[in-house]
Amino acid sequence: MSSTATRPDTSYLLRKLHSFTGILPVGAFLAEHFWSNSAALVSSEKYNTVSQELQTIPFRLIVEWGTIFLPMLFHGGYGIYIWLRGKSNVSAYPWVGNWLYTTQRYTGLIAFAYIGWHLYTERWLTHGRSTYANVAADIRNPWYLTFFVIGVLASSFHLGAGIWNFLCKWGLAATVKAQQAAGRLGALVGVAFSLVGILIIISFRYDWHPFSVYLPNK
Amino acid sequence: MAETKQVIVKVKRQAGPKEAARWEEFSLKWRPSMNVIICLRDIAENPVTHDGKKTTPITYDSNCLEEICGSCAMLINGKARMACSALVDQLEQPIRIEPMSKFPLVRDLAVDRQFMFESLKRVKAWIPIDGTYNLGEGPRVSPEVQEKGYPLSNCITCGNCLEVCPQVNEHNQFVGAAIISQVRLFNMHPTGAMNKSERIAAIIGPGGIQECANAQNCVHACPKGIPLTESIAEVNRDAWKQALLSWLVG
Ligand code: HEM
Ligand code: SF4
Ligand code: FES
Repeated sequence: MSSTATRPDTSYLLRKLHSFTGILPVGAFLAEHFWSNSAALVSSEKYNTVSQELQTIPFRLIVEWGTIFLPMLFHGGYGIYIWLRGKSNVSAYPWVGNWLYTTQRYTGLIAFAYIGWHLYTERWLTHGRSTYANVAADIRNPWYLTFFVIGVLASSFHLGAGIWNFLCKWGLAATVKAQQAAGRLGALVGVAFSLVGILIIISFRYDWHPFSVYLPNK
Repeated sequence: MAETKQVIVKVKRQAGPKEAARWEEFSLKWRPSMNVIICLRDIAENPVTHDGKKTTPITYDSNCLEEICGSCAMLINGKARMACSALVDQLEQPIRIEPMSKFPLVRDLAVDRQFMFESLKRVKAWIPIDGTYNLGEGPRVSPEVQEKGYPLSNCITCGNCLEVCPQVNEHNQFVGAAIISQVRLFNMHPTGAMNKSERIAAIIGPGGIQECANAQNCVHACPKGIPLTESIAEVNRDAWKQALLSWLVG
């Protein structure tokens, strides 16, 4: 390294990009996805309207690939590469941060497998025109149901722990106190996403629409 | 009762980096305030194993015996710590003693920490005060900076923070928490700050701060209680700003 060089190493840029894509767009998409799917909690009609709205956005393929598939493939692929270059030692040093480090890796992998399968069943097989009925039918299969639950919990945990990681790793939460606050924020996000995700699954499984009270009386 | 009290110690021995490792068990006479270095000295005085076999004294590093030289770090009951401050009375027996695993082995418990010293050189962990002529007085260090810097200056380069870090391993050349903390220390000093961008450039080079994955083991393992996670976060903030600027404006 020359003493005047100020440019970062490629591995630095890739690591920062990996970290950033975890929040934007991948984390943001997860939030959007939970938000639009919670339309099921209102009614199946509302769900179908919301999904059709999303399924008919202009430049759909470009938007999907540019902001969802490619960033996720990069984050997931590079995430596995990062995993392979680390050496977990949580049995020797069972501190909380070390547990999160290890769990971050397994939940990422589970989320990756789940999202791949989820895309295949709910996007590919339905030609991108999945409806309430499609999802409800799938979720009646106990194996599908189990995988949905695991996928939701793994993704929510991964995002929650990831927010904590992100805030620490960009120096946005630097002091011990700020990092504790970041940890509480991450925990809150993880719990909130898990709850909402499970509620949505229950909604599909039992045709349960608690927010239908918002609808005008028929 | 106290006279018959024994201390059972198991030491992982290895004659050299390429030799096979083996364990030897010793039973030593308990003494008050006994620590692991005293155990190793007692073995050196009478190198006979638990079952009466004559052996050689154990090779290990130590010097100050007061947690200040940093040379006696080893794995004690599986955990990285300083042998001179590891009190026998607080350890589960048999006490298992092994060399650190993240540094090249020299012999028995002695390892080579040269990697850390090379890394310190790479990040210019010093303040240049010499010139070909008298440079005069430097700027004053504010009490605030002194107060923040002092704990960081306590680093004894023991390597515990590297030993416990999941990101320090044979797959990458991560410099580890201690080095990043030193970057913070020298960048926060008003004279040291004159070379800030060079230190940041080095720490965003290969094996730099990007390899940190925030497991935060370092801060638990540091015998000097250095706020390593805070140092890493601070340097991380300076690092991405400098990287972004160099990328945008060259
Ligand atoms: C639901 C989709 C996903 C979301 C929302 C997500 C989000 C995040 C976030 C916010 C971070 C923190 C960034 C940081 O560490 O600085 C992160 C880190 C990480 N993610 Fe993901 N991620 C997802 C999928 C994946 C997948 C599929 C993998 C592949 C195994 C993965 C592996 C990782 C790893 C290893 C880290 C830690 C990186 C490090 O410690 O430096 N993630 N993720
Ligand atoms: S930062 Fe702490 S653990 Fe790391 S080398 Fe320095 S004194 Fe040892
Ligand atoms: S002998 Fe110096 S730190 Fe233990």
